Amino acid sequence: MATETGERTEAGETEPDYPGADRLLDHRRVERILRGSLYAVAGLLLAFLWVPLGIMITLSFAQNPVTLFPFEGLTLANYQLALASESMRQSLVGSLTIASVAASIATVLGVLASFALTRYRFKFRELYRTFGIIPMVVPGIILGVALRIYFQSLLDVLPGFTTVVLAHSLYGLPFVILIVTARLYTFDESLEEAARDLGADPITTFRDVTFPVIAPAIGAGFLFAWIRSFEDYIRALFLAGPNTDVLTIWMFSRIKQLDAPELNAVSSLIVFGVAVALAVAMNYGNVTGYVAGTVAEDEEN
Amino acid sequence: MPCNEDRQAESTSSGTSGIGRRAYITGAGATGFIALAGCAGGSGGGGEEGEMTEGEMTEGEMTEGGSSGDSGGTTTINVITWEEYAEMQENIESTLDGVELNITPSTSSTEMFAQWNSGQDEQFDIAVPNNNLVRRFMDADLVAPIDQDAVASFDSMYDKFKTFVDQQFTAGGEAYGVPIRFGWYGYAYDTRTVPDHEPSYDILFEEDYVDADLDGEIIMYDEAAKAMPATALYLGFEEELQGSEMTFSTDQIDQMQQALVDQKPRLQGYIAADPTFIQEFQQGNFLVGQSGRNEVIQMRTEGADWVEYVVPREGAMAWYETAVVSAASDNQETAWEVVNEFLAPQNGAALAQAGFSPSTNPAVSEELTQEQNELYGSIDPARLDGMIPFKDIASDVEEEYVSAWEEVKAA
Amino acid sequence: MAVGDPEETNRAAVVRLLSTRYGSLGITTGPALLWIAALLLAPLTFMVVVSFLEVSPISYEIIYEPTLANYEGLFDATPWWDTPFFTALWLSYGIATVTTLLCLTLAFPLAYLLARRGGRTFKIIIFLVLLPFFTMYLVRAYSWVLMFGPGGVINSTLIGVGLTDGPIELFNYGIPAIVVGLTHAYFPYMLLTLYASLDGLDFSLIEAARDLGASRVDVVRDHVVPLTLPGIIGGSLFVFVPSVGAFITPRFLGQGKVQMIGMLIESRVVGTYSIGYASAASMFVLVSIIGAMVVAFRYVTIEDLGGG
Repeated sequence: MATETGERTEAGETEPDYPGADRLLDHRRVERILRGSLYAVAGLLLAFLWVPLGIMITLSFAQNPVTLFPFEGLTLANYQLALASESMRQSLVGSLTIASVAASIATVLGVLASFALTRYRFKFRELYRTFGIIPMVVPGIILGVALRIYFQSLLDVLPGFTTVVLAHSLYGLPFVILIVTARLYTFDESLEEAARDLGADPITTFRDVTFPVIAPAIGAGFLFAWIRSFEDYIRALFLAGPNTDVLTIWMFSRIKQLDAPELNAVSSLIVFGVAVALAVAMNYGNVTGYVAGTVAEDEEN
Repeated sequence: MPCNEDRQAESTSSGTSGIGRRAYITGAGATGFIALAGCAGGSGGGGEEGEMTEGEMTEGEMTEGGSSGDSGGTTTINVITWEEYAEMQENIESTLDGVELNITPSTSSTEMFAQWNSGQDEQFDIAVPNNNLVRRFMDADLVAPIDQDAVASFDSMYDKFKTFVDQQFTAGGEAYGVPIRFGWYGYAYDTRTVPDHEPSYDILFEEDYVDADLDGEIIMYDEAAKAMPATALYLGFEEELQGSEMTFSTDQIDQMQQALVDQKPRLQGYIAADPTFIQEFQQGNFLVGQSGRNEVIQMRTEGADWVEYVVPREGAMAWYETAVVSAASDNQETAWEVVNEFLAPQNGAALAQAGFSPSTNPAVSEELTQEQNELYGSIDPARLDGMIPFKDIASDVEEEYVSAWEEVKAA
Repeated sequence: MAVGDPEETNRAAVVRLLSTRYGSLGITTGPALLWIAALLLAPLTFMVVVSFLEVSPISYEIIYEPTLANYEGLFDATPWWDTPFFTALWLSYGIATVTTLLCLTLAFPLAYLLARRGGRTFKIIIFLVLLPFFTMYLVRAYSWVLMFGPGGVINSTLIGVGLTDGPIELFNYGIPAIVVGLTHAYFPYMLLTLYASLDGLDFSLIEAARDLGASRVDVVRDHVVPLTLPGIIGGSLFVFVPSVGAFITPRFLGQGKVQMIGMLIESRVVGTYSIGYASAASMFVLVSIIGAMVVAFRYVTIEDLGGG
């Protein structure tokens, strides 16, 4: 693949020197070559994204779990090992619990805040919005250390389940706010007015009119906050206690040892799980819109 | 803030200690969440008060794990120690009725100390640091004296370690630490490439000590407590290592720093975890590596007959991991019973097999095969005689010592 | 919260509350405000305070006497920038800058393609990009641990097919490996941000410029770049900031030889609980990141980065 791109780029560079060419023809050719090299570059990039993961998945089936050469044959033993590991299961359950609780908190807070940001004008609104986004950009190590010394040295609270959940709920908040405010901005408020005119109180209006429309956005926000919590290591490192089981901490200590045949299997299972979830999600909702909307301009604007 | 729900969660848990911790966490989390959702809306202030309540919940959770033994259920003993100790977990849990172990793996004694001293001594019952850190645990009043009745195996230990305990881990007539297993640090090399030579730290630091290109082929320990003393021995600061702590001058620390900085370009890297060392040595990632005896023995039993392990002529640093029990633990007696189990022949054998290091209890060798005993099971501690036990750094130069290592890592 | 009240009364109370301006404002802004105040502002403020305090080396208790010792410790060398702290900080900035530029260069063509193509191709490509994006960061970093190293997949493959005799230094663990690992980790952020801004781009404008005789380079320089500037800046910020504070990637791919600022802070806290030093060091990182954001926000608004 690499050589292919090389040739194409080279061809593209020499093209303008083509003597006495018909300008239109030349134009089309350049266009074609450019498009071709664009595809080639895109292909290379996807390869860059996928090759390490692909190799990891391959190794999860290999008898020699660290490197491709020498290849010693295929096996499912790594998966059996992974699924049989009690400590792995414990930390998986721990992480699922933490992520679900933290994301739920973040979602409730984020949805409420989004209503405030889109429906009301109030003093310091922009400041409020900015601080709602900041937990996302503060480096994890700094947030982790700050919360650790705050809890431990100021409040005398030892690290544990609650501290991890609190940290993660804060970390997830911006993702919910970004996605839900984006949706609320495009929401047709006259629908709500109509409901109110017909005598519905605010709660009924929210339940029957607003919620069904913004539910996908809320779901996406929850999912983002959930994933952020589930994959976080550094904040959990500083805030987890001896009885807090966290999958990333379990994995990190295995990776540090470089000696866990089940590691590839666990990691591959995570990739498979995400793949299925993502495929389903993409068939049902505008995932791209939410994702791009999260990290960038709202697509629907 | 009317967050009564939090307290409710706590009382529920203490009422039903039979429920698993997991169920409790889930329940408490869910209740806490509902409580928060319910009562957070009303108030804009009082944040800290709210946090405090949550904090109590954390401790509630901890207590659930740590000390519900009073109510007759299981007692969970929280241990922070080296990875291989997990091998003994199952057997200890089946031997001691109603005791569950929760092992947090660690790769550094200083980290164990930092965690305990910053307040987590309330969350852990047992730590197993190296001998050099035990004194610090004692000085910081973190540890409880040995419960002699619970640690019945203490007497079956090699005399040498009993002497160590008397000399180093005793204060005010009370002993505080129980040595569990031991070993020493020298270096290992790949005999296929590195020729025979007189063992010396020079090989790690000097370019032409042996007739082999070792650039980018050397590994040092990724921990000040192990890499720095080796450097000191290389530089001939042996005297400073003889007392009860390492008494380097700032000038000597500077020299050690410089030697390590000069060495850095020749390193393949710094490695902390034994399995990583073995894995990479076997992959051929390096040729010479500062290492413990156990890693090399493990490699040899796995068939790597090309590894040679030597004790440098300048001397080797000896270690013996020593179990201590937290003074803040509610289950000190049970904790010492667990420590006693670490020394029991069957458990000691499991630990020796997993870590390729000898137990401090000679009776352990009865549980091992003759081959295992020759390799690692039955090592006469008299071999430690010429070696220097690990020491803590003298407190007046500790800061220079720590930052010298940081300079090396940053160079 | 009154427990045991009939549901209807509760509901009526909430409805009443919601129909007043302050009531509804309080209910909607309050909870998140509480969270931000108690879990973001208070801890960061406390961190600032701690950076001016020392911790007892014996008991690890904070000694509440203001001191500049922590900051002096950061500069304690001649020349002052020669401390481990600054070495680590510059290195982190350097690595983050290279990573950002690499992500930008790599992401642009793909984002352009995505913005111009629809349908099946688009869906497949976006799926292939999003999947690593949603996969655990740790898993992605780990996958590079397998790739690099003298005996890693890259080197052993090169040796296996006979392209080289011994391992190539470039593919050993070290700074290049870290840059690759970080690029892999944060590339999707750049791509999606760029895609979002390119997606809003009116391509007929570009075609018009081309028809008027502008060269490709001119078009990119005069139209594409200015119009996607918010995306470029936003994406760069999303790559640069986490790269500066990276911990896992340099930890796995540096083989102990590379010390970035996140690792230094971690080792100070975990190793010796020097929270004063760690806080002072964090202040520098935080201030420089805020600086970068202030500069960035001169060109883009927070709305450009998301939300509305």
